[in-house]
Amino acid sequence: MVESVGIPTVTLSVVRSMTDATPGPRNVFLRFRLGQVLGEPGEVAQQQAVLRRALAAVDEIDAPGGMIELPYRWKRERYPAPVGVAE
Amino acid sequence: MPRWWNRFQSKIYSRAWWLSERYGRRAGSFDDIPLPPLAPVRRPLPEARVALVTAGGVHLADQPPFDMANPDGDGSFRVIPRGVGPAELRITHDYYDHAAADRDTNCVLPLDRLEELARAGEIGAVAPRHVGMMGHLSGAALGVLVDRSAGEIAALFREDGVDLVLAVPG
Repeated sequence: MVESVGIPTVTLSVVRSMTDATPGPRNVFLRFRLGQVLGEPGEVAQQQAVLRRALAAVDEIDAPGGMIELPYRWKRERYPAPVGVAE
Repeated sequence: MPRWWNRFQSKIYSRAWWLSERYGRRAGSFDDIPLPPLAPVRRPLPEARVALVTAGGVHLADQPPFDMANPDGDGSFRVIPRGVGPAELRITHDYYDHAAADRDTNCVLPLDRLEELARAGEIGAVAPRHVGMMGHLSGAALGVLVDRSAGEIAALFREDGVDLVLAVPG
């Protein structure tokens, strides 16, 4: 495991029973589909929002195996405008 | 199982979260591997060098695909360098529906999104090397991952000065 060489690792999950059975050191769960963990194809704002919140979890989880659930509801959500998009 | 059957099943259980949950419970656990203590955060995010690992079976077109003939899966991994274009990436994985990720790899390996967060200053840097592997491992293939691949992946991230890793399932 990467965590044991001193590099913090956040693991995303869309299957709660799997995270409960085999948690990573730091876990972020959201109710998206297998195969579309970051969001829909081409949905830059949605994918960025998930990525941003997943990375931020490194500062929010303080016990091994801890989990944060993201509130996102797939399409029924207003995601922040995309940042850093190359023209 | 023939490959078409595995692919067919994966289409079904990727559809709905309750079916995914059933699939997850059947996959069982490997709780004999204890969780290590949390590594301390190395740098604030706006300074951190971030690497991605995907279990979604992503590899480069010119790398050998993951072994779909072995029912235990494939415990090896592929190095995906920073800056590869979408045309160079392939997905070989019969155990989840990757039709969406075939159109946009960012669904399971958000390299473009990571570049954008770096450009916007939300993270410090994108690591030079990322990793593609496959989930759905058991038996000897899981052994390969735990005993060999995991250590090699950790070593290459350490060599690259990675501060934070995000692991994404398929």
